Amino acid sequence: MSYALVVAETRRNIFEERNMDSIGLCSLMGKDAFLLIPFGDYNVNEQYLNGIIKVKVEESMFLNPVVMVNILEKIMASHGKPYLMVFTNSASGTELASYAAGYFNVPIITDVSAYDKERGTFSKSYYSDKIFGEFKPSGEGTFIITVRSGSFKENLCDRNANPSLEIVEDVETNTTRTFMEFVEEEKSGIDITKAEFLLSIGRGTGNNEEVAEYEELAKLLKAVISGSRPVIDKLWLPKTHQVGTSGKTVKPKVYLAMGISGAFQHIAGMKDSDCIIAVNKDPEAPIFQYAHYGIIGDMHKVRDKLKEMLKEG
Amino acid sequence: MNLLVFTKRVPATQEEELRIIDDGNKIDLSKVPFKVNDWDNYSVEEAVRIVEKIGGTVTAVSIGDSESDEVLRRAIAMGAKDGFLIETENILHDPNARSTLIYNFLKKEGLPFDAIFTGVQSEDDQFAAVGGILAAKLRIPFVSMVIGIDNIENGYAIVRRELEGGLQERIKISLPCVMSIQTGINEPRYVSIMGIRKASKVERKVLKASDYQENVENMIELTRWVYPLKKEGATLLSPDLENACKELLNILKEKGVYQ
Repeated sequence: MSYALVVAETRRNIFEERNMDSIGLCSLMGKDAFLLIPFGDYNVNEQYLNGIIKVKVEESMFLNPVVMVNILEKIMASHGKPYLMVFTNSASGTELASYAAGYFNVPIITDVSAYDKERGTFSKSYYSDKIFGEFKPSGEGTFIITVRSGSFKENLCDRNANPSLEIVEDVETNTTRTFMEFVEEEKSGIDITKAEFLLSIGRGTGNNEEVAEYEELAKLLKAVISGSRPVIDKLWLPKTHQVGTSGKTVKPKVYLAMGISGAFQHIAGMKDSDCIIAVNKDPEAPIFQYAHYGIIGDMHKVRDKLKEMLKEG
Repeated sequence: MNLLVFTKRVPATQEEELRIIDDGNKIDLSKVPFKVNDWDNYSVEEAVRIVEKIGGTVTAVSIGDSESDEVLRRAIAMGAKDGFLIETENILHDPNARSTLIYNFLKKEGLPFDAIFTGVQSEDDQFAAVGGILAAKLRIPFVSMVIGIDNIENGYAIVRRELEGGLQERIKISLPCVMSIQTGINEPRYVSIMGIRKASKVERKVLKASDYQENVENMIELTRWVYPLKKEGATLLSPDLENACKELLNILKEKGVYQ
């Protein structure tokens, strides 16, 4: 019960960078990290790992929850139960983790962004990062954590030794869910990742009629318009203009965020911008923690005033 | 097609200042308005669209206090046939406890279903785990982040799930199954006050959570609530609108993106 089983997230033969946060959590907790990964040519930072377990299945099978539980069952039969299992907090990670938690009847804490070693508690976000709950598993036994990207990379500890290598074969398949194909996003004229100046609008925009007003402001500022998830969900802007984990990751010179509170998935897509300016009426909005400059105020009033000033020249 | 949809009433905290009280043991939600969980709104809409197209029924289920009847009425106004409220005063933070309660309810009431729809997550606790745990307990397949249902018929469904960076994957899944629905899958219909009032005439069964308690225990323990660690944060521009806008334009000029 001393090892940590880290379930790798891979996508189209890329070892996702956020796996390093899963491994970093193991370093912080002082647990030996064994990485579970599909068999293939992945670029893995081996120096942080005690062991690598390669599973002879296709990536799409590995990332399939109904197959993953068979893989985990096999690992536990040969290695014993791990102290904890770590997954990424992502489209695939949370899907696998929650199914495994139900299948093995073990505790789960998701979207973990901090660990308090003394108290043994894991912090998870509530209310879009306005408050965090500090949780711990109630009893003894294996538990599952999904880790928020960017949270534990700095805790990685170099072992100065090569990890052990093991290959697992003959995994029982399950055809109640099968992968068919990837579906790529349709290309549109404007690539927001290439823009130097993005004017990004969020939920605070209020309704579709207001969007044209922001498009006009963007034009006056010679900025490209983009939006956060709620704006795309409501079809106010096309999907190709979405900033965030499920949309685009952008790094413009200036990111002007209006009416965006700053859900973590959005922050992940824009935090590396050179200069972030946030306009929001809620002084507690998480976006102000990431912005370089902030205006606490009504986004529509700021918009109208800016337009007035720009038109006057 | 019989579809069960879970819907939750959550605090609308987007523009609210939240306070932690009782030495970190409680969040004061007494002045916060409540609403239907965004993800569940899309989920109900998707289920209703399916039965409108191919026939069948949608049954809405909610766990919560008596006020949660509001989200059931809403689901009925959107097209659900009926609703169940599993009433409890306790807030179940642990997704395992919630899923076990639902599992017991399904077993005991023997509701027939071809698919169970949940939202990917609820806005308040953001666990994104109930659907997956429930599916595993029922030993049926699971798919999350569902952003399109291309086809659902005789024993299987073809669905698209959202990955990252605009990428999706198409999968085939056997029925019965659990699907966790992502926002943006559709445009939920407008629900009028009249519609909700009319829905009040449709019976919603109220059940006691205490009747489904077998193995419902908190597998995780909440030790305390904390505020996020404050970083340096943004340099605030002038509280005066005109001055703030002038300062903003100066920053844009300084950064070389606007002349």
